Amino acid sequence: MTDIVDEIRQAYAAVGIRLDQPATYGAYYRLLCAGCGRMVGNVGDKLLPSMAQDVVTAQFDLYASGLLGCACGHQRDATRRLDPDRWAAAQK
Amino acid sequence: MATHEPLNEMNAIEDAEQRGRTDTWPLWRRQYAKGDPLPKLACQVSRPTYRFDEGDVLPEEYESLLLRMLRHEGERAGNKSFLGLMGTCLDLAEALFPPHAKLLKAEYVAEELKHAIMFHRLAVGLQEDFVLRDVPYAHYAFHLPRESWADDAFFHFLVDLNGAFHARDWRESSYVPLAKMSATVERDELGHSEMGYLFLTEICQQLRGKELVQRLLGKWYAAALDMFGRSDSPNVPKFIHWGLKSVGNADIRAAYKSYVDRKITELGLDLPDERANRRFL
Repeated sequence: MTDIVDEIRQAYAAVGIRLDQPATYGAYYRLLCAGCGRMVGNVGDKLLPSMAQDVVTAQFDLYASGLLGCACGHQRDATRRLDPDRWAAAQK
Repeated sequence: MATHEPLNEMNAIEDAEQRGRTDTWPLWRRQYAKGDPLPKLACQVSRPTYRFDEGDVLPEEYESLLLRMLRHEGERAGNKSFLGLMGTCLDLAEALFPPHAKLLKAEYVAEELKHAIMFHRLAVGLQEDFVLRDVPYAHYAFHLPRESWADDAFFHFLVDLNGAFHARDWRESSYVPLAKMSATVERDELGHSEMGYLFLTEICQQLRGKELVQRLLGKWYAAALDMFGRSDSPNVPKFIHWGLKSVGNADIRAAYKSYVDRKITELGLDLPDERANRRFL
């Protein structure tokens, strides 16, 4: 596993999303809801350093408000635990 | 054509495409019916006129630059990474798309596979050991997370449009096989971009959808502008000299930006700062 993939895995774990095994010849990974296992997207392994964290951080409000993430609500719950103040602000 | 007459390879593809036409698909039709949708990309510097066809002996530097360009292009049947990218598109359509959009996405994949055959033929005529070479997409725009229908719509609107602009530039290519297929590739890629734009238009009909699209725009806009590379790339003058490109990275990026800015504004969205989140200026 490359450092970038590790970085992607850690960034997404914080908001309740886990990386599946590499798919399609190794360059891409499915993003799975850590709560129910449903596919919520995909990502490739050629992001630049720190990019995964930047994207997930920028999308915090979208997970918190339910605009992104699984219909089961797992990412909403995860972001609420991660930063309750920012989560509350995102509800407005 | 007689009913039982066998179709040759490309006629069979054309026939299949004709049968796939609907009021919506292919989306390039309406755009070209209104006139040429893309800006002209005319070379502004004096340069020699070169013209090379399949089977010609190519100058070493020319061949190297042409192969480099085709490696970046990627849509080639023997390129496992291209097939992998198509796999991710199917995954997303299955998991995240509303039912009515899935068929359009399947048409898109079918058309990209047609390009893969066209570029396969070009590769066979150019250098046989390139035919099966796996070339992973190097640019981060092909690897950005797609976590919603809107993300995927942006991918098509902006990334496929990059392909359309490059294909437009190939109309004047000194490599004849590339020039010959450029109009088809340009037209199709423009249609793929329009598919993404159609999806974005639909998503923006609802307030929450529009909010999502506005928030995701920053991620995709920066990547889209970065896809044209650095404005001072040292290889560009060589590409222009050999007739493999007409204009530099900054010029084609500016033409592209003007096109997408107009479309984004028509969606009622705010344009991001063009320097925000950029990695390649």
